[in-house]
Amino acid sequence: MSKRDGRAGQDVLRRVGEASVLILISLADGPKHGYALIQDIKQLADVELGPGTLYGALDRLERLGLIEPLPADDRRHPYRITAPGAAALRVHLDSLERVSAAGRLRLRLGGI
Amino acid sequence: MDDPRAPRLVETVLRCYPARWRRRHGEEAAELAALLIRDGTPAISVAWSYLAGAARARLTLRPGRYLTAVACALLVAACSLGVSAGLLASAAPARAASTSQAPGRAHCRAGSPAPVPGMTPAMSRPQVIIWEVGHGRSC
Repeated sequence: MSKRDGRAGQDVLRRVGEASVLILISLADGPKHGYALIQDIKQLADVELGPGTLYGALDRLERLGLIEPLPADDRRHPYRITAPGAAALRVHLDSLERVSAAGRLRLRLGGI
Repeated sequence: MDDPRAPRLVETVLRCYPARWRRRHGEEAAELAALLIRDGTPAISVAWSYLAGAARARLTLRPGRYLTAVACALLVAACSLGVSAGLLASAAPARAASTSQAPGRAHCRAGSPAPVPGMTPAMSRPQVIIWEVGHGRSC
């Protein structure tokens, strides 16, 4: 794995949990509110996020400045990904790709 | 929602969240629960998820409370050490009294084996030497 320089290149999503990463991926193509996020993540990754998990992850991502709430639409609060959120997601996905490629290579080398 | 108790169950669980959270997400969370239950998610599963979320929301430290929490943890640790030290100090005189009652005992208990023949004091370890002079604490 390459050496990271400063906070800009750090994988800040490494410790936030799978739910937060899935939420960021779901928000990457546009703002969504809670119910739409749950439905999209179910389609996207076949993962059923519980509502409690969803709100916990939304609060964490907002505290980290990776997402931001938009003006409420009736009772629903849509969220959108911020520029630092998009950058963090890109770094994390790059990191996952490197690990995934290394894993596949080792499986091939091991003849498994 | 088929089960008429489901909204009340969710409502009760949502009350477990901190007031700040309820002001912000309360109405939306109730609506989201209703939609999920309508879609076929069991009400108990929705309620359980919110209950776990409420526990996490209450356990998550806000930046302002961090120092208070650290101070409390240190205080608890200091109190635990103090209690342990106090217990040890009160137990020490009792132990000393019990050992001073048998100063002349040759062995720890009746029928104890004699020192191993052929083992000279120079070869034996310090514990054996203490045992030979009948020190009760070596048992």
